[in-house]
Amino acid sequence: MNFKKLVVLLLLGFGLTCLSQAQIQHIEMRVEGMT
Amino acid sequence: MKQHLGRQSGVQTVEVSLIDGKVQITPKEDGRIDPVQLLKATYDSGVSVAEMDLTARGKIVKDSSGNLALQVDPTRSFAIVPDQLSQGLEALAGSQTVVTVRGQLYKKTSGKKKADLSAPLKLQILEVQKKE
Repeated sequence: MNFKKLVVLLLLGFGLTCLSQAQIQHIEMRVEGMT
Repeated sequence: MKQHLGRQSGVQTVEVSLIDGKVQITPKEDGRIDPVQLLKATYDSGVSVAEMDLTARGKIVKDSSGNLALQVDPTRSFAIVPDQLSQGLEALAGSQTVVTVRGQLYKKTSGKKKADLSAPLKLQILEVQKKE
């Protein structure tokens, strides 16, 4: 396999792993004064 | 308010319940959502926030002062309010374990109309849902 393609695949995999590992999944707010 | 929040960075969907005054926000998977920005945007739309809870996945780290924090992305972490639940997470500090927690990031203090958003928000852990 082309070395450049391999590097791109590795970087893509690393990025996806980071995204799936940590993030805010849901936010709920209780608000007042809403009409 | 729904449109105002929907325009914020990292927001995928906003569901508003007029009956119980609850706003459910689903973030996009790009991780760019900023709770402080959401609080500001809500106040800007003329509505007062009583509480903000969130569910987040992240790693437990210790900040420069030795306090526990939940790191939700490489550039953002929330200091954790020390209590009994947070003590159970202390052993995970600095490890590769990813935890999913539900916590309270903001609660309106009685008497104040507008939130003080100048101080960093602290996360009070309400429930540890998963450790991986």
